[in-house]
Amino acid sequence: MLQVKNVEKYYGGKNNVTKALDRVSFDVEDGEFIAIMGASGSGKTTLLNCISTIDTVSAGCILLDGKDITELPSRELAKFRRERLGFVFQDFNLLDTLTIEENIGLTLALNHYNAAAVLDKVKETAGKLGISDILDKFPYQISGGQKQRAACSRAMVAGQSLLLADEPTGALDSKASKNLLEIMTQMNQSMGATILMVTHDAYSASYAKRVVFLKDGRIFNELLRGGRVRSVFYHEILAVLAALGGDVSDVI
Amino acid sequence: MTLFKLSLRNARRQARDYLVYFVSVVMAAALLYAFNGLVFSQEILNLSRRMAQMPSIIVLASIVVVCVFGWLVSYTTNFMLSRRSRELGTYILIGLENRQVARLFFLENLAVGGCALLSGLLVGNLLFQALRAIVLSLFGMPYGFSFTFSLPTVGLTAVYFVLIYLYALRRSRKRIKKMKIYDLIYFDRLNEGVVIQTGQKRRRLFTVSIVLGVAGTFLIMAGNFLLGILGAGSLIVCLYGFFPSFASSVPAFFDRHPARKYKGQNLLVFRTLAAKLATMGVLMATISMIFTATLISEGTGMVFHGTFAGRAAENACFDLYIGMEDTDRLRTEYADYIEKNIPVEKSLQYKVYCGENTQVMDYLNKNTSYYSYGYERDSVMRYSDYAALREIAGYPAVHLQPGQYLIHCMDYLEGVLKSYQQPLALGDDVLDWGGVYTEHMIQDDGLGNGVGFVLVVPDELAKDLPFHHLGYAAKTVHPVAEEQFYDLYDIHYEIHYKMDMQSDTYDTIYTKASEEADMAVMTAAIVFPLYFLALALTITAATILTVQQLSESERYKRQFEMLHKLGMDWREMAKALRWQFAIYYIMPAVPPVLIGLPFILNLAKMPEPGVMVGLNSPAAITGIAFGLFVLIYTLYILLAYTNLKRNVLPERGY
Repeated sequence: MLQVKNVEKYYGGKNNVTKALDRVSFDVEDGEFIAIMGASGSGKTTLLNCISTIDTVSAGCILLDGKDITELPSRELAKFRRERLGFVFQDFNLLDTLTIEENIGLTLALNHYNAAAVLDKVKETAGKLGISDILDKFPYQISGGQKQRAACSRAMVAGQSLLLADEPTGALDSKASKNLLEIMTQMNQSMGATILMVTHDAYSASYAKRVVFLKDGRIFNELLRGGRVRSVFYHEILAVLAALGGDVSDVI
Repeated sequence: MTLFKLSLRNARRQARDYLVYFVSVVMAAALLYAFNGLVFSQEILNLSRRMAQMPSIIVLASIVVVCVFGWLVSYTTNFMLSRRSRELGTYILIGLENRQVARLFFLENLAVGGCALLSGLLVGNLLFQALRAIVLSLFGMPYGFSFTFSLPTVGLTAVYFVLIYLYALRRSRKRIKKMKIYDLIYFDRLNEGVVIQTGQKRRRLFTVSIVLGVAGTFLIMAGNFLLGILGAGSLIVCLYGFFPSFASSVPAFFDRHPARKYKGQNLLVFRTLAAKLATMGVLMATISMIFTATLISEGTGMVFHGTFAGRAAENACFDLYIGMEDTDRLRTEYADYIEKNIPVEKSLQYKVYCGENTQVMDYLNKNTSYYSYGYERDSVMRYSDYAALREIAGYPAVHLQPGQYLIHCMDYLEGVLKSYQQPLALGDDVLDWGGVYTEHMIQDDGLGNGVGFVLVVPDELAKDLPFHHLGYAAKTVHPVAEEQFYDLYDIHYEIHYKMDMQSDTYDTIYTKASEEADMAVMTAAIVFPLYFLALALTITAATILTVQQLSESERYKRQFEMLHKLGMDWREMAKALRWQFAIYYIMPAVPPVLIGLPFILNLAKMPEPGVMVGLNSPAAITGIAFGLFVLIYTLYILLAYTNLKRNVLPERGY
């Protein structure tokens, strides 16, 4: 579904160039749940921004269903994002002036979805993620976990094919994190959502089917969960993180 | 870093972040300086004896303006304090005392105020030059630009400014001294729980205010004074109900019409607006009231100006005119004075007669609004007198064909009288309509040349008509001085006194110079202060609206960044912002237009007919007042919009 090919990204001017991504290549299969891990400054958010077309690549290409999204003209970028990509951010990014129902429905409105059918569609998606009872609430009236589930609903309500999550559990307590990750797993397994999650939390990454490790802008390692139970996979991830060097406590 | 340096640095940042506010405070200083410049300008005061009344009126207006700007500075300072509470809390957290933070805040505001005052004095001087040029031109005096500062004016402006700032900063100082670190650091959480209130009571209030608004508008439009007051009252109640309850009504409306909610930009535009109004509903209503006051003072100023200008233009056609009843020649007292003091180039004593019937007056009463005070029949004048009067006034000669009569009328009757064209019977003779002339000829006074119109007939046909009054018109070698005018007026009172107060005769005296001076004095003493007030009010209300809007920049920026990531098209974002912006600014301006414009229109219809014509006609005045208001308001809107668009919308192209 997604092919990242030799992507490079440089920041800065002539005399002060920072290489954020260095020939990064990997594929994401349809229906896969993949985690990108790495310490702070390893380039994982830059990679996510390039995939989500919010940032441009300096070299290389990114293909989504065979189409190079780095070559898309600027007018088509917005259309591409709203139709194909769903976002879940660390700080939820829900509009505090809209109710949860409206926050979810907003994506459909942006996609010029039939206005009369928006409410039904929102209710249907919210039902799947267990947030039907908070649809009339405002973001400040609900918990962080509920906010993140609302963000997940927003990310998939318009039938987006790729869900990009940037540290989705970063602002949640352990119980809410576990709950969200189970929901994401459910979205991946029952609803067929393809998920690309950036995290530096090994526990969160252990929910993925595959983990790609970044170090200094390069792919350092890759772990496949295969048939292993999650707790075993979690310890394997910790082992790779230890091998990655740096401050392990920083990445756990 | 010392506290003083920190204050200066913060002051610079404040002036940059709140540029619109800073510009407004500069304008406040400029306005105060310019208008107070008139108070202390001997050159202006010496123009006329009657100018003596101007300083007290301007000082009175200044006091109101100081209160208005005091509110602006106090509101904005308080607002900035709320916005910066976390920063101020941090100062206390790292060891500064509340007292020191209060001093820091006081110093930086004083620095901003000081800079604004200095810049305002420079701009104010230019503005004063403009006012000076207008006043001098009204008196027909030559104008020369001079950039000199008047120390008393600078002093008075500084005193006003100190009052404004002391009032505002005393409040914030008290507030900071009482605040606890927690309150300051978590100030922004205070409002979290009450962003949107959806109570049923508020929704009912919304419905009631809409009903009151519609009813009020119809009552005002009815044109009746009492109904108008009732209508204005309804609209004021409507304002204070409408804005605070708007936020509750939006969700209720969307709940009933879910399909409309998700159509186009509706959701974003109205929800953001509702959230804003939820926290500033009462303020919005107050701003709306201020705009109403702005339109009313602006319109009233224009109506006054129109009235003075209209009357002056009509009555200033001769260098000297005296209208007298009960005498068939210029009274000796006047004649002696004129002979001794006023060199005359040309003069004429003539009679104005009463016609045989009221056929023209009847026609006018039937076809237009016309008052015939002082005349029971149509007024008539001999052609030879009319021709001489035209020559004295400097108008081109006209000829009366045998068997015809002419009509000389005020401008506003021209159209009606041109379609009159009826024959005029005088004794056994019948005259045909020979044309209409409309130059100014003192026709709005019972002792002038008819009221509204005079019929000009062949000399021989007028000799048997009853005499109405005597007119004396003169073209003088030099303009009649103000003192000479007052001398003539004193003579007039003496004559009246001699008549043992038995007669109700009052002579009419007009001089070109005195009429023009009257107009200039009235403009400086009444029209200027009203404009001064209108400007101060507009600046205050538009600034508060803009500061409120721009303070949301960060929140809007986050919102649009998120929408950008969700795939909202840049053009759609710009459109949503534009809509949001337009409704935010149009909403508080609609009620003032509904209240203010009918008020101005009715006020402009109050002076006697014929005075408010051309650019001073009621429709034109209402249009110009509205246009001026829109112009100043639009400047603020554009300033705020460009600023917001630049800061809020993500870069185009991604």
